[in-house]
Amino acid sequence: MRYYVQRVALAILLLLAVSMLTFGALNILGDPLFNILGPVAGDVNNPDSIKMIALAKKEFSLDRSLPVRYFIWLSDFVRGDFGVTFSSTGQPPVSGVISERLPRTISLVFLAQMFAVLVSIPWAIIAAARAGKISDRISTINAFFLVAMPNFAIAVILKFVFSLKLGWTPITYMADDPLRSRLFQLLLPALTIGLPVAAVYQRLLRTDLITTLQQDFILLARTKGLSKTRILFVHALRPSLFSFITVVGLNTGALIGGSIVAETVFRIPGIGSTLVESIFRNDFPVVLAIVMIVASAFVVINLLVDFAYTLIDPRVRR
Amino acid sequence: MSNTSVTAAPEDIVVPKKLGFGFWLCVIWVGLMAFIAIFASVLPLKSPTANFLNSAQGRPPYAPSWSHWFGTDKDARDVFSRSMYGARISLTVGFTAITAGFLIGGTLGVISGYYKGWIDRISSFGFIVLLSFPSLVLAILLTSLIDRNLLTVSLVLGLLSIAPVGRLARAATLQYADREFVLAARQIGATNRRIIIKEILPNVAIPMSSLALLGMAVAVVAEGGLAFLGFSVQKGITWGGLIQLGSDASKTLQNAPWIAFFPILMLFLTVLSLNFAGDRLRTFFDVKETTL
Amino acid sequence: MVAVACGGDDSSSSNSSPTETAAPTDSGAPATDAPAEETPVTGGTLRVGLEADVDGLNPTASALAVAGLTMASAVFDPLFTFDVDGNAVPYLAESIEPSADFMVWTMKLRAGVVFHDGTPLTTDAVIKQFEITRNDPLVGLAVKPYYPETDAVVKIDDLTMEFHPKEANQYFPTALTAQLGYIASPTWLDALVADPTLEQQPVGTGPFQFDSRTEDSVTKFVRNDNWWGTDIIGPTYLDAIEFYPVTDPDTRTEMIQNDELDILHTTDTNQFQTYRDDPTLVTSIDDNGEEYFLMINTAKAPFDDIRVRKALALATDRQGYYDLFNSGEGRMADQMFTPDSPYFNADVTQEGNDPEGAAALVAEYCGENPVDDAGVAQCTDGKVNMEYQWSGPSVLATRIADFYNENWKASFNVTFDEKSQADNIQEAALGIYNVVGWRQFGAENPGDDRVWLECRNIGGISLNWPRFCDEARDALIMEIANPASPDERVGSIQKLVQNLHDSYAYVFMTHSSWAIVSTDKVHGNCDRKSPEGNALVCSINGRMFFQSTWLSS
Repeated sequence: MRYYVQRVALAILLLLAVSMLTFGALNILGDPLFNILGPVAGDVNNPDSIKMIALAKKEFSLDRSLPVRYFIWLSDFVRGDFGVTFSSTGQPPVSGVISERLPRTISLVFLAQMFAVLVSIPWAIIAAARAGKISDRISTINAFFLVAMPNFAIAVILKFVFSLKLGWTPITYMADDPLRSRLFQLLLPALTIGLPVAAVYQRLLRTDLITTLQQDFILLARTKGLSKTRILFVHALRPSLFSFITVVGLNTGALIGGSIVAETVFRIPGIGSTLVESIFRNDFPVVLAIVMIVASAFVVINLLVDFAYTLIDPRVRR
Repeated sequence: MSNTSVTAAPEDIVVPKKLGFGFWLCVIWVGLMAFIAIFASVLPLKSPTANFLNSAQGRPPYAPSWSHWFGTDKDARDVFSRSMYGARISLTVGFTAITAGFLIGGTLGVISGYYKGWIDRISSFGFIVLLSFPSLVLAILLTSLIDRNLLTVSLVLGLLSIAPVGRLARAATLQYADREFVLAARQIGATNRRIIIKEILPNVAIPMSSLALLGMAVAVVAEGGLAFLGFSVQKGITWGGLIQLGSDASKTLQNAPWIAFFPILMLFLTVLSLNFAGDRLRTFFDVKETTL
Repeated sequence: MVAVACGGDDSSSSNSSPTETAAPTDSGAPATDAPAEETPVTGGTLRVGLEADVDGLNPTASALAVAGLTMASAVFDPLFTFDVDGNAVPYLAESIEPSADFMVWTMKLRAGVVFHDGTPLTTDAVIKQFEITRNDPLVGLAVKPYYPETDAVVKIDDLTMEFHPKEANQYFPTALTAQLGYIASPTWLDALVADPTLEQQPVGTGPFQFDSRTEDSVTKFVRNDNWWGTDIIGPTYLDAIEFYPVTDPDTRTEMIQNDELDILHTTDTNQFQTYRDDPTLVTSIDDNGEEYFLMINTAKAPFDDIRVRKALALATDRQGYYDLFNSGEGRMADQMFTPDSPYFNADVTQEGNDPEGAAALVAEYCGENPVDDAGVAQCTDGKVNMEYQWSGPSVLATRIADFYNENWKASFNVTFDEKSQADNIQEAALGIYNVVGWRQFGAENPGDDRVWLECRNIGGISLNWPRFCDEARDALIMEIANPASPDERVGSIQKLVQNLHDSYAYVFMTHSSWAIVSTDKVHGNCDRKSPEGNALVCSINGRMFFQSTWLSS
């Protein structure tokens, strides 16, 4: 029990540290007044402008000191109020932007993860079964190649082959389309993220499987006369799955990063592309909210994986 | 049990005793890229920024030909030359980043692993905080806030490699810190500093060497990703930037794929070489996969 | 007159920044249109693709660019508007009469006009709007210098008022054809003070009224069945209009080809051939409006020296720019008028493509070891130190910057700055720049471009962006506003063109081309009429109008 409490406390501490650093960095290094006021923001010699600047600062709490602003933001944030975007009207509220775009990114990451898992498991099993043979060497080389190809390069290649040359998938993502076509539009982006990840999973699982297969209890199963398939799937796979699941969970963070690239190349309005846009526009509330959501997701998933692991292997709780 | 069995016979999983032809091939490629990167301005390359407009050929982009081996981009700039020059920033950032990561992260890791105590707790917490972010998000965030030149971008990526390098160094140090020969050295009266330098470092250096190559590959890819999104060195030719230029407009990609594909090829071969060589080193030294 | 202008490049995707000029141009009617005998059909929703979204549609405060003005034209009516001959004719206003010396203009509003919220249109509403606009620190910059402090607009009765501009201007009504002339409901303007978010829900007198809005996604207006113009001008056919901001020009093209948009506008010349090749699309292209040029800050070293400005022009490969970035569309620009214009001055050409000339001038300048007010040397190694900036991130803008670097590096040490759009505009407005790419001019009444050119428009935020003050120029502008005769006016305008050239504050590059593209189901765009029956222009510098538009099924 103590272990769980400790880990949760650490996670919260972590998130606080992340939020403080991000908040501090953004506020020290950028000036959002232009988004709110236009060129007036810099017209500091004009008495009318000065009045407007003071008003805007008050409205967006920019006239308070940094720690005060941080606490205001934090107390709003934990209550679900992500604040307003830095624009002259404060519209749309940040939570609106996020709630509209987050589901797309989640679907994308989920699709990518599903693809990676579904492809890597059989691939690893086959490779482990034929370890050392030509087909295994080939698949290892394949895996290598995939890992060496950066995800933005994969995105460009996939877009070129399937959208432009073959015309099988649409080029743009339309938010208003029915669910089925939207999912189809997410296919290439999901592949972009999922393919290299599948290769990573496959290599790890294969190594794991091979190690497991060398254990004595496998030998025993063989002498008992169990079939190859049964041994593979039932006896070898199960222990290897634990670390596999761990890796899958921990890797979600990399997938989120990958979604930034995929969303940019395939022009999907999700939080990845929004993050990049908002940074370019100095729209700090949006940037902050997205960073916190991503970090929280990351930390929570890590936590869950950790907890799941302790249930399986109590020694870890030490 | 001589038929194809489920269990892989031990002979099939052999730790190679030599690095192999593939390893050296990769090293040669990386060396070649480094050579080009350093000497690009004196090599007989076309200017990477000049616009080779040729009204006889119509509007650019021009397809690959004898005068332009990799073709030209939409502004009639030579893609081959630009791909070569792109190696400069991409490799320099990759190299500097991993070096900085090693120097800072490695030192922190070894110290934490050796001395343990509160130093260990603080740096471990620091590592965890750094690792709590998807690295691309953090990289984008940091580079967007600063003046983006060669040094600063390298340092940002270096910052991101501190945590993984530090953790490996720490884990490796922990493994050795309690070994007999260390205890023996302490008995003789050797100072901690001497022990670290003479006993720990040489042993830790082995797993770290493969990490150096792998880490550099990651840094090159990371810089490519940043450049692709527009967050890398501001005024410079990078592979990621070239790929972005060639793929940003669907029409460009469709009609003139060479603009993006040749830089992709360069980047891919370089990263592949670094990955392969690093992996070969790792199996050669038979390093177990520690917490990375 | 309308405030602030666009920074950015020509043939580009949305690089553009806040607003545009009061720049009506005579846009030719689309190449083909439905036969005139086809009867208009009432009903349907028009889906419009815009190059950007807007923060708010408040004529007194929002910096409206092309996209904003298009939306504004649906919900607001201007007091005056341009007919196809380039004259400002009454629209929301009923009439206007000048005094003999053109110093007092008596304007009469139409009776019985109500805003969408039921408030009646009266003189008080117009005066209220005028004063609010004048006091806005940004939009007001286009208004303040031209009126006295008090009694600028005087009420005569509920429908009549007198304008008292500072100087005689025979063409005064043209100033009331764009943002300054879009009259908003005073009730709404009051409500805005308490709740600024209402800026996104405009209330005007227009043929359409606000229905709903999702920022960066879609803004919807529906027909105003109580529109004052229904009896006087004609019916409004569309049930609703949906405005979609689509910043990527490629995506906009795909959308209209996939029947996801009915009409769009674009300045991306790369798209033009695609539109022309598509038989289901009706395309109309016009380059008689704005120009794209390099704008130079003459108030700051080293460009306060005319030799350096001239050297920059000589060093620029204008032909190369046109070849690479215009895709063969549009025309190079030597001045702010195209050869089609009666004001075109055939003696004025923009220099360029002369690197040796540039080198000679730079050598002379640097030979004097010049320093600025702070004592900082302006030359290093015989080349002038300068900064070029642009709005990023933009792949196209970066390519253009690389191209300029190639041009200039023989004589200049160029520092490149990709800035966020916000910072770029801010610095241009405040005069913290050396050289920036810009779009400007093209007002149907060239006299209305004065706001970018006069000495009085130099200030903290300066609409005279290059901060170039020339009293001879100001005198010419006065003559243009109050000429002895129309012929003399033409002469004065041509002299102004020469004057702009001689200041070397601008390096003219190209005339901006706007394309308005619609599917073959869209009709009637160019059938707008004024209450007095004048045929009105189809589009102005990319701004579209929908009062007379109808959709066939």
